[in-house]
Amino acid sequence: MNERPDMQDWEAQINALLDGELDEPGADALKAAARNDQSLARAIIEAYQLQQALAALPMERAPASLRRKLRRIPRERREPWLGFLLQPRWAGGMALLAVLALLLTQLGPRTPSDEEIAKARQELAVAFAYLDKVGARTELEIESTVGAEMNEAVTDTMVRTLKEQFAFDKENKA
Amino acid sequence: MSRVYRSWVETYQDQAWSLARHLLRDAAEAEDATQEAFIKLWDNREAIDPERVRPWLMKVTRNACLDRLRRRRPEVALEDVDLIASGEPLADAEQGELGSWLRRAIEGLKEPYRSLVLLRDVQQHSYEEVAGATDLSLTQVKVYLHRARKQLREELAEVRP
Repeated sequence: MNERPDMQDWEAQINALLDGELDEPGADALKAAARNDQSLARAIIEAYQLQQALAALPMERAPASLRRKLRRIPRERREPWLGFLLQPRWAGGMALLAVLALLLTQLGPRTPSDEEIAKARQELAVAFAYLDKVGARTELEIESTVGAEMNEAVTDTMVRTLKEQFAFDKENKA
Repeated sequence: MSRVYRSWVETYQDQAWSLARHLLRDAAEAEDATQEAFIKLWDNREAIDPERVRPWLMKVTRNACLDRLRRRRPEVALEDVDLIASGEPLADAEQGELGSWLRRAIEGLKEPYRSLVLLRDVQQHSYEEVAGATDLSLTQVKVYLHRARKQLREELAEVRP
């Protein structure tokens, strides 16, 4: 496209004008030149129209499938070993194993020493802390799928059942 | 931290998606590129300056898109370049038609012009943010944007009555 040499100089001024970076004397000079130059006046108008049309283009909303994927990233990117251990199906089982192991040692024929009892209590506390953590994790899982109301019913029941079982065994032993 | 990440997702997912959609012109690929960018955002969440998340994310999204464009077959790239030439003329410049025409015209721009117009003129990022997102200097951004706008204006003048 052939263009007058002075038009190329004005182009830079038009651009600066659009970005609000043209100082007042520069803007006045451009306006004065446009009054006597129809093609320059048209170029300024077209540049403005283009700028407004571009700014008015609506932002495309990300699709629902992508929104879901982006929200899931933190859960999927957690440290693999931690993610594995804290998966409700594994973590629940592991906590149960710990509790059962503890119960078996308590049901043994010999009378444990005070030191052994203290150690067992400590391990039990760890097991319950772990169980609580699993419960919280399960709660999150359930909350994300069936809602907050259901999760309390499920996690509470699980923890209560295990605790009751433990208390029952203890009573029997006593 | 995951709460902060969620707020970033809510704030920037549309912008990142929109950029990817315009650069790649393929919804499935744009979705993958946007997801890749947000995975990097999550992985680098501790290292990123919270004030610079937007340009950082736009840069990573753009790079993910450019990688995909480079991997595409050459004939697809050639077809892309000719997109404007095959675009329908703008007979009646109604707003909706102008919008569609503009989208096609932007998609017909070469890189980095396309990204510059999208980031600066469509999404209204600051010049500094655009420079950060495109790895260009401020001067380069201004010069290239000047050329891109001029090209769009000339094409618009040709199709307008």
